[in-house]
Amino acid sequence: MLSKIPKWNMALLIILLSEILIFGLINPRFWNISILLNSFNDFIGIAIIGFFVTLVMITGGIDISGGSIIGLTSVVVGILSQVVGLNIWVALVLAILAGGLCGLLNGVLIAYGRVQAMVITLGGMLLYSGIAIVLVGLSGVSAYEGISGFSQGFSNIAYGTVFGIPNSVVLFVVMFVIAYILLHRTKYGRYIFLTGINQNAAEYSGINTKKVIASTYVLSGISAGVAGVMLTSYLGSARADFGGEYLMPILTVVVLGGTLITGGKGGVVGTALASIIVGFMQIGLQMGGVSTQYIGLATGSLLIISVAILGISPEFKNNVRKLVSPKKISGGKV
Amino acid sequence: MQKFKNITEKREFRTFVFLVAIFVVVGLVNSEFLSLGNIHDSLKSSLLYIVLAVGLTFVLLTGNIDISVGGILGLSAAVSGMILRDGGSILLAIVVAIGIGGLVGLINGLGVTKLKISSFIMTLGMLEITRVVQVIYTDGQWVENLPVAFKQLAQINVLGINLLSILVVTGLILVHLYLIKNKKGRYFSAIGDNQEGAILLGIPVQRYVTYSFVISGVCSALAGLIFASQIGFISTTAGLGIEMTVIAAAVLGGVSLSGGVGSVIGAGIGAIIMISINSALVYMKVPAFWNDAISGTLLIVIVVTDALLARKANKQAKKERLRARVLHEEEVSVDYAK
Repeated sequence: MLSKIPKWNMALLIILLSEILIFGLINPRFWNISILLNSFNDFIGIAIIGFFVTLVMITGGIDISGGSIIGLTSVVVGILSQVVGLNIWVALVLAILAGGLCGLLNGVLIAYGRVQAMVITLGGMLLYSGIAIVLVGLSGVSAYEGISGFSQGFSNIAYGTVFGIPNSVVLFVVMFVIAYILLHRTKYGRYIFLTGINQNAAEYSGINTKKVIASTYVLSGISAGVAGVMLTSYLGSARADFGGEYLMPILTVVVLGGTLITGGKGGVVGTALASIIVGFMQIGLQMGGVSTQYIGLATGSLLIISVAILGISPEFKNNVRKLVSPKKISGGKV
Repeated sequence: MQKFKNITEKREFRTFVFLVAIFVVVGLVNSEFLSLGNIHDSLKSSLLYIVLAVGLTFVLLTGNIDISVGGILGLSAAVSGMILRDGGSILLAIVVAIGIGGLVGLINGLGVTKLKISSFIMTLGMLEITRVVQVIYTDGQWVENLPVAFKQLAQINVLGINLLSILVVTGLILVHLYLIKNKKGRYFSAIGDNQEGAILLGIPVQRYVTYSFVISGVCSALAGLIFASQIGFISTTAGLGIEMTVIAAAVLGGVSLSGGVGSVIGAGIGAIIMISINSALVYMKVPAFWNDAISGTLLIVIVVTDALLARKANKQAKKERLRARVLHEEEVSVDYAK
């Protein structure tokens, strides 16, 4: 049973468990289940965008526009519901669709225009946060205070519970299951991997790789839209600069989760574990009395060290094998 | 004539035309924008970005990327700023800043070449680490009260032109000549163009990739000094998000993110464009909140058009090659018939 779990996910699980153990020993309050479950609110945005950026990265692309789509959807929800006066739930759906639209623009330009993903999503990052700022500017709302005054029903999205489990945990699980099934249990998922491993080969075997690539960006945009709605509900106001600091954490959890930045290899299980590791580390360090400003040091080092181990391991293992049993490598008798 | 045609076909030339077009269009709306004073100011405020773009171009040419430039800028500016504030000499501050930039660049380079970490991840991690180190070193405080003599450095004028601008532009041209004319300078784009080929030619690829990161680190440190001198104080968020602007500038200037293509002159012009757009909006009396939306749109439009143009040219070249081969074969068969 254990042997079926990929080694890297196993390592992540061990890191997660030891993290919970160590932080708990430093401050026993960390072992309080409800605190841990409620902390999901702090990193849910990073996690759910991370799930679908994993899909993007497996096709060999990258999406750095997720953080600004959060800000845009947040502003769209705020303006549609508070300034225009639409029903909050209609505004919510339209905002998520706006996120999907941003993703579609990214995807079409990258897949059909064949421009580098990094460049397009960089431009997209400027553009979407720019649109959010323009919307705020045109609607005459104070950019600093943001748009507030949401209904109780809307703030229940983040603060409500289902059978005692916070909604953010439920959303985390739902989005994870969707991403997992899409990537690991459907034909579409196999196409994503194939496209990432060798786009030409995938194209020749009859896969519409452009459609596959474009669709992953749409999914990533929609997930950013969901994250934007969630964050707006959690913080109780809509601002254009929400999600601005999410860029690095999103990429960190995807890469820490074992997805290759060059594409073709990875999985959402790793991303899920990595996002919980990074999320718990923030609360753990805060509870341990470390200032939030220093958390970057931990995540930064974790990122570099884990990738170094991931990258080195095959070569390193080969060398060790050569040293231990030189005869097998040299081929023996012919 | 041929030489002139060569120049106009270059990507840098198109970028330059675009820059001139921005100035002319905005100048039609508000003629003050075309005044020498404003052009001088635009150049002065983009110096920092030009220096960063030059360093980044070295890394991009080798086919890697450096996201840590903003972090190095902040850290080196803060450390040298504190030295200056506490009465240290300007020379010492400059040496320390360059040392920090070089060291972080070296770590980046070694991580990429020896540990085989993708440059994106390595520099992303270093970005976070340098930011935190800056916060720890400055204790989360802003570095203020820099000596007047240091702040004046950015304002010295020679013959009416800012001394710093002269130095940066001269440096830019020298670096450009090094990359284009010098044998070793051409190694950088050779590595990015075809790494396997570069290895076969005997180019010490790993060493030059490491060099590129060190150069980028040193340039970021120099940009940090310019920042400290021009702004006069260093906040804990100095240079936050600057890496994206610089990458966008380099891409606008025709530097390819997949390596091998581009020049520092192009990247420098790209940097001036990114900064001029902001001041152009002020002169056109457009509210400042349009800045990001417009730069984002411009970046996407330019890059996509460029990619489409390049692909069209590629197709044309392929067709011509094919036609030439067919013609050649016909000639050969005619020869046989004789």
